[in-house]
Amino acid sequence: MARSLRMPILLATALLLAAPLAAGEYNAVAEIGDSLPAFENLPATDGSTLSSSDLTEDVVVLVFLANHCPWVRGMDPDLVQLAGSFEGRSVRFVGVSVNHRDEDRLPAMKAHAAEHGYDFTYVYDESQELGRALGATRTPEYFVFDADRRLVYMGAIHDSPAHVTSDGSIDYTKGEPTTFYVADAIEATLAGRPVATPETRAHGCSVEYEG
Amino acid sequence: MRRLLPLVVLALALPIRAAGDAVLHPVSQEEWSQVLASHEGDLVVVDFWATWCLPCLERFPKMVELSERYADRGVTFIAFSLDDRDDPGAMAMAGSFARKQGGRIEHYVTTEPIPDAFDQLDLLGIPAVKIYARDGTLATALDADDPNHQFTDEDVEEAIEELLGG
Repeated sequence: MARSLRMPILLATALLLAAPLAAGEYNAVAEIGDSLPAFENLPATDGSTLSSSDLTEDVVVLVFLANHCPWVRGMDPDLVQLAGSFEGRSVRFVGVSVNHRDEDRLPAMKAHAAEHGYDFTYVYDESQELGRALGATRTPEYFVFDADRRLVYMGAIHDSPAHVTSDGSIDYTKGEPTTFYVADAIEATLAGRPVATPETRAHGCSVEYEG
Repeated sequence: MRRLLPLVVLALALPIRAAGDAVLHPVSQEEWSQVLASHEGDLVVVDFWATWCLPCLERFPKMVELSERYADRGVTFIAFSLDDRDDPGAMAMAGSFARKQGGRIEHYVTTEPIPDAFDQLDLLGIPAVKIYARDGTLATALDADDPNHQFTDEDVEEAIEELLGG
């Protein structure tokens, strides 16, 4: 290699290594690489409880939800399809509701899960500690963890946020989704590869924290 | 004249009318910048809201109250809706809500696709309030983006008082 080229390449490499990761760009609390916060006995819509120590799969996906939110309802079919697409593989989906509105509490969650075909654990984080620890501020907002329970992705399900309109139809704001961030993050993690896009802006309703 | 400029800008924009437009003036991002610029000299409080945002609707009466209290002290209040302009039902609801709330508030609604509008407005979510100083610079941005520091109605009031030099 010509000597004149070597220095610029070394410099460029050094700059790339020194550049801050995009992680944390949209999240005030969590960064890519953070550990899954421990949680205990969160009540689920199926009558069971869930603790972080119960999770044994290679990939864990937490998705923060709010029944009342038109963006959650708009992307419910995509969530259900996504969870179904990983059935039989070592991936665990957990829905988490945090708000204290009656529409978002456990009785309403049970009805919502049944109506929308949630085939995954859906827990209520009444203390809001899990939501706070992850800096979850939108619904729906996804957090994907690897086998070591390190955060490898946070943000939106895909690149076209969808919401339920006033006539009950679903509107994809940017047309048909073309990049499926969560699915790609799960596949990469299962294959032992780094996640290409570790963070995106989750579009939706705001999570309401008390006090 | 300066106070008429937003209306002139809007008249020139010739937007396609939608239900709710009688109350909420539709603006592209470029037109919104012109609206803000036209208010230089005033303190401008912008409340970003949408009918799909329940906490935004619940906070709205406080904004109405503040608008009535501060309008005569050189403070302009603007409610900027991030509803879907392509959804006639949502626009009708937004227009009806805004009309019923009253207050001394100017109303605008984005004509951009909703997620694009968030990006252009540098917002991660709503409710959110931005306050512009008299020279047009952004003085205060209040939002719900940090679980441990979500803004309150009192934060809005305190920020206005501080910027008024009270």
